[in-house]
Amino acid sequence: MTTLLQTLSSVRYSPGRTFLTALGAALGIATIVALLAVGNGARHSAGDFVHLGASDLALFQKDAADPTTSVLPTSLIPEVRRTPGIADATPLVLLVEDVPKDPSAIVFGAQPNSFYTSRLVFGAGHMFSAADQIVVGDGLASQLHLAVGDQLKVHRRPFQVVGIYHIGIAYQDSGAFIPLRVAQSILGRQGETTLIGVKLAVGTRPAAVEGTLSHRYPGIATIGTPEEAARLGANGQLISNAALVIAVLALVIGGIGVLNTMMMAVIERRSEFALLSAVGWSGPQIAFRVVMEGVVTTVIGAALGLLLGVIGAHFLIDALGAQQFVAPRVTAWDLGRALLVGVLIGVLGGLYPAWRAAHLSPAQILAQR
Amino acid sequence: MPGARVVAEHLSRRYGQVLALDDVSFEVEPGELLALTGPSGSGKTTLLQLIGSLDRPTSGSIGVDDIAVEQLSNPTHFRRSIVGFVFQLHYLLPALSLQQNVELPMMAAHVSRQERAERSRELLKEVGLEGRAQDHPSELSGGERQRVAIARALGGFPRLILADEPTGSLDTAASHRVWKLLGDVRDRRGTTVIVASHDPSLTEHVDREIHIVDGRLVPPPDRASPAGGGRTAAARHES
Ligand SMILES: Nc1ncnc2c1ncn2[C@@H]1O[C@H](COP(=O)(O)OP(=O)(O)OP(=O)(O)O)[C@@H](O)[C@H]1O
Ligand SMILES: [Mg+2]
Repeated sequence: MTTLLQTLSSVRYSPGRTFLTALGAALGIATIVALLAVGNGARHSAGDFVHLGASDLALFQKDAADPTTSVLPTSLIPEVRRTPGIADATPLVLLVEDVPKDPSAIVFGAQPNSFYTSRLVFGAGHMFSAADQIVVGDGLASQLHLAVGDQLKVHRRPFQVVGIYHIGIAYQDSGAFIPLRVAQSILGRQGETTLIGVKLAVGTRPAAVEGTLSHRYPGIATIGTPEEAARLGANGQLISNAALVIAVLALVIGGIGVLNTMMMAVIERRSEFALLSAVGWSGPQIAFRVVMEGVVTTVIGAALGLLLGVIGAHFLIDALGAQQFVAPRVTAWDLGRALLVGVLIGVLGGLYPAWRAAHLSPAQILAQR
Repeated sequence: MPGARVVAEHLSRRYGQVLALDDVSFEVEPGELLALTGPSGSGKTTLLQLIGSLDRPTSGSIGVDDIAVEQLSNPTHFRRSIVGFVFQLHYLLPALSLQQNVELPMMAAHVSRQERAERSRELLKEVGLEGRAQDHPSELSGGERQRVAIARALGGFPRLILADEPTGSLDTAASHRVWKLLGDVRDRRGTTVIVASHDPSLTEHVDREIHIVDGRLVPPPDRASPAGGGRTAAARHES
């Protein structure tokens, strides 16, 4: 412990260099934190996505690049409905980037009497009853200053706002609903839907129904939980792979930074380590001191990195234009992991310099002529 | 802590082509203050490093009391608590306070924090730097730094002090004080002290001188000095 204090004071030798090294580690850790935060947020929101309205399960096309690009035939629905344990099934079409004034808003195409729309609570106006009518979520309404009677363009078509609802699900409150057939025609996909929402009969285990459905329709992904939702979609997979690669790179770069700094420190301060050896410090004691210096540096970096990462996550989401889909979430475990990574960078980067310092021969270094 | 007896037998150290020490044998009595003199490059530093376990002889043996130094496979204990080094350059760590510098050898030996603090203050007092424990080396004169280095060397209660040109970069007054301090240490503690030096004033301070030229022991040149060589510690203690 005292050696640790010693170590802290020797960081003072070159505060500038220590800070720069810490900053290097900080950027690496910030990257990791930001990616974790965005990843968590995305996963959380994907969960909302599954439970749009009151569905217990959602059926998507397997291997879709992204849940919103899934395509399923509506002709499946009667068959799905007849499956034992299933109380109801209904199509839902997702239109993304089709509201020119707010590209992040999702427009849902749904049947007016389906379980998706029956839960909408109208603060003003009522449900649509004609092809050119739209109901908007209160989030989108307040963002675009919409009121009942206003016009809103979706994919170059003008719609009349006839109701403003709230349901408490982020996607839907910042989006809008139009009639299913209109949405299909905008997409040019009559008879097709993005997903099929499924409501289970009371007392049915979701896993049993999931098993039946995936057996019967090998091309369909049945999503029942947020975790499963996160697995869906090649894009999501791609992003999480990329995040892993970036995280590993950040680690390596941070580690090399520490390695470089500690190596320079060891070379510059050879006489210090030689002196320690001459007064009886053992190799492991000297090595520990060097490693601890690296760790102190990177823990400072980790603290800085956590801060930058949390800020960075917000910027990243803004830059991706994904505020409506993803809310960054930083958990205590993320923070713990980032600190752990900081310590790891310090230890890994410090090992070789520590070994070198521990093996300096005091004789020649201290024999100044 | 009584001083150590040092016995060197047929010591040689070769660096490639250079025979830095050539069959050197001598004995140092416990509590003796011995000067090691000789021209530059004659092998003084090499000899001190062999005695202090910082280097190994090519052949021959060194005994410090019952310890065969050249055979130590792990010299850390020997360096911590049998021998204390003072170098020409003080090698104090600039980022640490004087107290922390003096504590460095004790840290290696796992001495408790409280005892370290007590001992280091005591030692700083002994070298005339009482009350400056929290100062840093940059705030000290050259002579004061060398006295801190002596305090550091004393931290493990060594039986033997090896000082390599401790006054080599000091002016006359500061040198005098360092010599006096080394003499006091020997007188008070009975520690054996071997000092390699060019300093012409050394004969006033030491018991005996051994002289080395080109790695071989030769009789010391005649010095016009009242003290002469040969006053042993034992003789001094008796008087
Ligand atoms: N590491 C080494 N490698 C090669 N030669 C060395 C090494 N150390 C010492 N020598 C040589 O050994 C001889 C004795 O050197 P040493 O340093 O012991 O002399 P010295 O008496 O201490 O000299 P000075 O009074 O200048 O300090 C010199 O010729 C020196 O060049
Ligand atoms: Mg020398």
